[in-house]
Amino acid sequence: MTARWLWWFAILCGVSLLVGARQLEWGQLLSLSGDAWLTLTASRLPRLAALVLTGVGLAVCGVILQHIVRNKFVEPGTTGGLDAARLGILMSLVLAPGAGAPARMLFALLLSFAAGLIFVLIIRRIQFKGSVLVPVIGLMYGGVLSAIAEFYAYRNNIMQSMQGWLLGDFSRVVQGSYEIIYLILPIVGLTYLYARRFTLLGMGEGMATSLGLNYLAWVALGLLLVAVTVSATVITVGSIPFVGLVIPNLVALRYGDNLRRTLPIVALGGACLLLVCDILGRLLIYPFEVPIGLTAGSVGGVLFLALIIRRYR
Amino acid sequence: MMRLQPRHAVWIVVVTLALIFVFLHSGLDFDYVIPKRIARLTAMLIGGAAIAWSSITFQTLTGNRILTPAIMGYEAVYLLWQALLILFMGSASLVLLGVNGNFVLSVLLMLGYSWGIHRWLFRDGKSNVYFLLLVGFVLTLLISTFTQFVQLKVSPGEFSILQGFSQASFNRAQPLQLLFSGLLVGAVCLLGRKTLPTLDVLSLGRDQAVSLGVDYRRNVRLHLALIAILVAVSTSLLGPTAFMGVFVANITYALARTFRHRVTLPLGGAIATGMFITAQLLVEHVFNYKTTVGILVNLVCGGYFLVLMVRTRGAP
Repeated sequence: MTARWLWWFAILCGVSLLVGARQLEWGQLLSLSGDAWLTLTASRLPRLAALVLTGVGLAVCGVILQHIVRNKFVEPGTTGGLDAARLGILMSLVLAPGAGAPARMLFALLLSFAAGLIFVLIIRRIQFKGSVLVPVIGLMYGGVLSAIAEFYAYRNNIMQSMQGWLLGDFSRVVQGSYEIIYLILPIVGLTYLYARRFTLLGMGEGMATSLGLNYLAWVALGLLLVAVTVSATVITVGSIPFVGLVIPNLVALRYGDNLRRTLPIVALGGACLLLVCDILGRLLIYPFEVPIGLTAGSVGGVLFLALIIRRYR
Repeated sequence: MMRLQPRHAVWIVVVTLALIFVFLHSGLDFDYVIPKRIARLTAMLIGGAAIAWSSITFQTLTGNRILTPAIMGYEAVYLLWQALLILFMGSASLVLLGVNGNFVLSVLLMLGYSWGIHRWLFRDGKSNVYFLLLVGFVLTLLISTFTQFVQLKVSPGEFSILQGFSQASFNRAQPLQLLFSGLLVGAVCLLGRKTLPTLDVLSLGRDQAVSLGVDYRRNVRLHLALIAILVAVSTSLLGPTAFMGVFVANITYALARTFRHRVTLPLGGAIATGMFITAQLLVEHVFNYKTTVGILVNLVCGGYFLVLMVRTRGAP
């Protein structure tokens, strides 16, 4: 089954390299120089790498969070993680205007980690009647965080530029501006290495502890991994909703919850979904492009609606 | 002499706030400043009454203290409608339909939505309230992405019209629209006044209400229709106010110390109006227009909601 996904993935990668505002002259490629070569190495390949890494990272993030909170409806977008990362970038812009991308990333990382911890604490304190209430609280939590961000942005007159990086967009990704995204690689590696422990986390605190897991430490580590991924993606491409929600759910419906087995499929699925959305966005109003935040938002949103309606009918 | 109860104190505070709002730094300019401020005050009053009434009755019908129509997708439907209008007809739609035509269509649309909610909520006695809440949220997210897409397609001028619809403000109301909305809210209040005792019975729950001889389905349908009208009024008058309803309703219950609608509904209206006036005063005189009413309301009310959830452990 993984092989089939790999095929789809390879085809999508190829299409993604071919589509673009500038026609590639394939003859020129062989000389490894010239216009076509520059387009390929400076724009198409970085874009492909960023797309794949973001898709993989977001989907894996969704899985980790879902195991920590033990709820199928959470992802960074529904637990305030994205909003906190945005708030962090905003704070770094105001407090240290000259700082480079690493400093901004650090701010985003710290805030989204803190927001994740607070969210888990809130969830642990509340005893739930229905699983749907968790994302509802997460969304409200995110609403409050973004209200703080708006309050801050409005005072400093950067509302408009904030709107700019609210929306996921890969057209900015060129050589030299996206390398932070490679941080996702070790994160995914670590997650796969410890996949069994995250599966245990998903069985609940009592079960995990009695099987010899230091529950709190693993929750904190999971949240840290998520925070790194989220802040790296928000810094380089902006926020992309629903990917972390839809892919893990679809995979879990078909292949179950053993992370060691399903994690590769989740990762491939996330990458494929983003590739499809990106190709769509590039073709819809060719030669311009629709930001991926919009295409992923609508495709993912519709999928998610279908998913919850299916589950609750 | 009657002892001063908190709920009476609220009225005094609101009237004081209103007076401060109208006269502070006005220079007693009865030609321009004061009429403008009174128009805004009227918008707040109508909007506040509509929000309080719709939230409290909605909570009574659903038997749940954290739900309000605003977060159940009513506002999303309204914004979607405006986005579609702008997308397909451009700013010409404003001329073609006029403020009132647009308003009537919005009300009809929301009535349709609330009919859908009615079918979902009360289908064979099984309560799908949280499910519906989630659907409302996802719809809101989807629609906000959609409006961003519309932004790409339309001219900046048309987009600024759309953005005007999606932010809470007291300045957009025209006198005619104020009159129209005021009449509608007044009519709803008059119509609803007779049913207040029935509402008290409905708050006991479906089975109790039926065994006490109330026509449950008919009353629920009536009140959902009233709610749709009120939400349409408040959204088109002030814009979306997501968390406001939860906040107002719960503060009202705490201050009124009773669930009788004869007490809670007017008190809720007063509290909502007071909140609006306070937010507007803060924006004008403390923050010096460096923030907006919508941001303040979301900040305070959203924060309150979270505290409420944590304190009641999710079982309000």
